[in-house]
Amino acid sequence: MGDGFKIFELVKKVLFTDFVKGLSITLGYNVSRSITHRYPDEEKWIPYRRFRGLHTLNKDEHGRELCVACELCSKACPTQCITVIPMEDDTGRGIADRVAKVWKVDLVRCLFCGYCEDACPTRAVRLGREYELACIDSRCNVRQREELLHPQPTPEAFEGGVVARATFIRKKRSIKVKADLMNTKKRSI
Amino acid sequence: MHGVIIMATVKINGKEITVQDNTLILDAARDAGFEIPTFCYQADLMGIGSCRMCLVEIEGQKKLQPSCITPVLHGMSINTETPTVISARASMLEFLLANHALDCPVCDKGGECELQDMVYKYGPHKGRHAEKKFKFQEKDYALSPVIIKNSNRCVQCQKCVRVCAEVVGANVLGALGRGDHQEETSFFRHFLDCDQDGNCIEVCPVGCFMRLPYRYRTRPWDLKGADTVCPYCGTGCRMVIEHRDGVLIRSKAQLGVGLNSETLCARGRFGCDFASSTERLKTPLIRRGGSLEPASWEEALGYIKEHIPVNIGNKMGGIASPRLTNEELYLFQKLLRDIFGSPNLDSTARWEPEATEGFIKATGMDEGGVSVFDCMESDSVLVIGSHLSDENPVTDYIVRRIKNTRRMSLIIASPREMKLDSSATIKLRHSPGREAAVLDAIALAVNAGKPSPAEGAALKDAKIEDLIASAGVTKGAVEQIAQRLLAANSIAIIAGMEFLRHPEGIPELGLLKEALKSSGKKVLVMPALDRANQRGAWEMGVHPAFGPGYGPVKDKGLGCAGMLEAANRGDLDMMYIAGADVAAMHPDEEFTRKALLKLKLLVVQDIFLSETAKLAHVVLPGSSFAEKEGTFTNQEGRAQIIRKLLPPPGKAKRDLDVIRAVGEVYDPSFGPKMPVLVLDEIRNAAGMYAHVSLAFNNKRNTENKLDNRHALVQGSATSALSVTRFSAATTEPEGRFHLTTGNHLFHSGRFSRRSGTLLGLLSAAVVEISEKDAASLNLKSGDKVKVKGRHYEAILSLKTKKGSKEGVAFIAENYDDVPVNRFFKKGEPAPRVDITKVTY
Ligand code: SF4
Ligand code: SF4
Ligand code: SF4
Ligand code: SF4
Ligand code: SF4
Ligand code: FES
Repeated sequence: MGDGFKIFELVKKVLFTDFVKGLSITLGYNVSRSITHRYPDEEKWIPYRRFRGLHTLNKDEHGRELCVACELCSKACPTQCITVIPMEDDTGRGIADRVAKVWKVDLVRCLFCGYCEDACPTRAVRLGREYELACIDSRCNVRQREELLHPQPTPEAFEGGVVARATFIRKKRSIKVKADLMNTKKRSI
Repeated sequence: MHGVIIMATVKINGKEITVQDNTLILDAARDAGFEIPTFCYQADLMGIGSCRMCLVEIEGQKKLQPSCITPVLHGMSINTETPTVISARASMLEFLLANHALDCPVCDKGGECELQDMVYKYGPHKGRHAEKKFKFQEKDYALSPVIIKNSNRCVQCQKCVRVCAEVVGANVLGALGRGDHQEETSFFRHFLDCDQDGNCIEVCPVGCFMRLPYRYRTRPWDLKGADTVCPYCGTGCRMVIEHRDGVLIRSKAQLGVGLNSETLCARGRFGCDFASSTERLKTPLIRRGGSLEPASWEEALGYIKEHIPVNIGNKMGGIASPRLTNEELYLFQKLLRDIFGSPNLDSTARWEPEATEGFIKATGMDEGGVSVFDCMESDSVLVIGSHLSDENPVTDYIVRRIKNTRRMSLIIASPREMKLDSSATIKLRHSPGREAAVLDAIALAVNAGKPSPAEGAALKDAKIEDLIASAGVTKGAVEQIAQRLLAANSIAIIAGMEFLRHPEGIPELGLLKEALKSSGKKVLVMPALDRANQRGAWEMGVHPAFGPGYGPVKDKGLGCAGMLEAANRGDLDMMYIAGADVAAMHPDEEFTRKALLKLKLLVVQDIFLSETAKLAHVVLPGSSFAEKEGTFTNQEGRAQIIRKLLPPPGKAKRDLDVIRAVGEVYDPSFGPKMPVLVLDEIRNAAGMYAHVSLAFNNKRNTENKLDNRHALVQGSATSALSVTRFSAATTEPEGRFHLTTGNHLFHSGRFSRRSGTLLGLLSAAVVEISEKDAASLNLKSGDKVKVKGRHYEAILSLKTKKGSKEGVAFIAENYDDVPVNRFFKKGEPAPRVDITKVTY
């Protein structure tokens, strides 16, 4: 290598050129628009409608359970993680006199493939937009009918694909991120 | 059907086959390997050709023809797969679906529905009917405690109506309305008071008839099943029991499997839930300080070892239930005879051992198995001493079904009216317990008043007039029967449990058989038994007078009654009772309890804390039929396999293991360990079983044969049986009604009382008398009445029967609230009772 090259290197070192170059990137990011989600403290991603998250069991407009406990979802499920035990109940709890006594899904085994919702003849089971499934007790991996019947926080009509402002709620036995759907913004990932 | 068989050669889809003339095209095609879909066709039932699923094309005929009612003609050329046929099938299904509810997700049939399968395979996958569907009703309605109906799913195949009329003989279903508004149901949808056997449910191809305790509890694909045999009576119906999550929730029959094919009775179909009862014994119990306390197996076996010395000999007695398998019964007698050295063995608390021995001989059980289908091939069939319709319902179905399709005569002799009467050529109402006089009278009438050489001495001085008077029958009726028997070349006698209740008829049964044989007729005798493995228990040698295969024993021991007497005298110290509820079933309850309480050691092995178990020192928990493997031998002598579905509950063990564990306490090599190995030993010990095949080779539709002959036991070469003469029983002088007992249609022994479903069918005790008697006492069906005997009185509800003999009252032996054995007293004449209305 020639002497000219050595001198050039020396000048670069003396003037901190590489340092300034690197720092300029950092500084650039410092002043550019942030793309990091401030999850869970301030923000939460609300998925699109076609997202496949936690199961939800739906009711019709009269508040009757749509599930008729036909067990097709559990039959269709490739991992056999759904258990349905039917029973008779003609008090109007469900749309038919056949309702689920037990409907539970083992989330540890679930692939979120959506075969169950495809199989459901009454559109009772849908994969919702809940994805915060972590918890401190392994028992909560199995979600029961009673819990799944509660509507999920994000309504079906909500378009999704946005980041909402959120509050992080920490309790003794659980943590939760509550999104404010009225306060959202689109942001590219 | 006798004579030359004419054959016909036809072409089906180009394949030439030769079949018997008159074969249905459907059968011929299936035989040739071509599948034709059907709805309304069923091998056992009269063809009606109504659903038109089975249409085929016959060359030269313009219209398609229903193959299920069209017989082949020589030279016919039939096509089952042409485009016309295929589109006709699709159209038929489209019509069926036009009004079909199609609520498969809710329908209990979903997953095993013939309509689903059919539409999937042949159907149009689009319907063109836009009209609103006609609905029979919005809500399903219950037809009985076990049947629920949804007519919106009906395909009008009429199988339910036909099975009820032609096979069950209850005839309570019919079609209301016409056309697509035709609804197959009960008379104006009234609640059914029928046999509750659910055969309508079984044959219904769709989800119209559904079973109630099972309703909305599962899907068929969640069930795990095992092939088994019904544990309730000697008919030996094959069935499949199924469980979900460890609870036995269904038993069902299968078309073309077992002698029963798709039929079962109420007990078999709805009574198996006892296996999952919460009252099952789950741990051994030992009596400590007056009460039975849970214990471990080691403690229980230790207790037995401590109290029973080896070779205790005839101070020990054993009774094993005829509900245990052959393997268990064999091992049980081996334990008693070889380990304890005791000859005291019995398999029933109800009959005298001499009576059972005589009955076995008289019915020729030691000569090998007799198929019920062979019996029904006879020109004349005599049913005597059995209330067949209630005690062996499926035998009753088989008799009715076959009787209605061929020329033969059916003679029924019984004191009480029964369902089968409607199929009888002659029915004879005789006084209870007078089978002997009836048989003698028939025998004399057959020989025109003079006894045949075979009857010789026994009937030398008998006068037909006296016999007729004693039997309470008319001479005309007896002569009619004699004529029928004389006209027949082959005769079958179905002899039931009454012969054991009144053993004086046993020798006469043998005599009539011999007399008919000596006049050149082919005679078959089939016993009708009321416990699933009663015949097996005898053939395994659980009897004081003979060993396995009816072979001789070194010394004869005591039967149940003898053991109880010995216990009462203090000559018998210990008893091992496996599965039998002696305290509840032995006549004279008070005496039985007293005798059992005198025992120094009573070991009871059972699945429930029975009346007997409550008196025990050690209780060993056994297993139900659903929890073990083995074989049962039915009344015909057919050995059939039962298979395990569930593990025994808690610490309970298979009965074979319990018996073996007791044996191993004394001899560590006691065994064999596995049911199959025990069976091998049985094959050696009892020659009757040497060649019995347990393979399962029934076939239906193509051959329409349910008679699995390879399962019948052979004759015994070592039989050493004799018939004892019993003196005629007397009855008490007082009281208007002669009290008789037996099994109720919904119950068998005390065991079925543990089935919630069967209890739901009939919970309160019932006394049955004839309508005439009731009228003269100013009583009607449903009244609460007091039945008063010399030793016991009870309040029951009354049921009247139209054609029953007057002066006979019947109380089934199954009610725990009214133990009928309390009316009986040891050594006393048969009880008579008075019936009065209870007024509050
Ligand atoms: S999403 Fe897939 S794996 Fe999960 S429950 Fe449904 S069918 Fe089963
Ligand atoms: S969720 Fe749907 S598929 Fe699953 S049992 Fe209920 S109705 Fe049937
Ligand atoms: S009968 Fe068959 S086709 Fe009809 S609703 Fe039931 S399962 Fe579906
Ligand atoms: S109820 Fe069932 S068996 Fe009876 S006619 Fe209708 S579909 Fe056939
Ligand atoms: S009780 Fe007898 S007739 Fe009824 S299903 Fe069982 S074996 Fe058959
Ligand atoms: S099966 Fe032939 S018409 Fe119904």
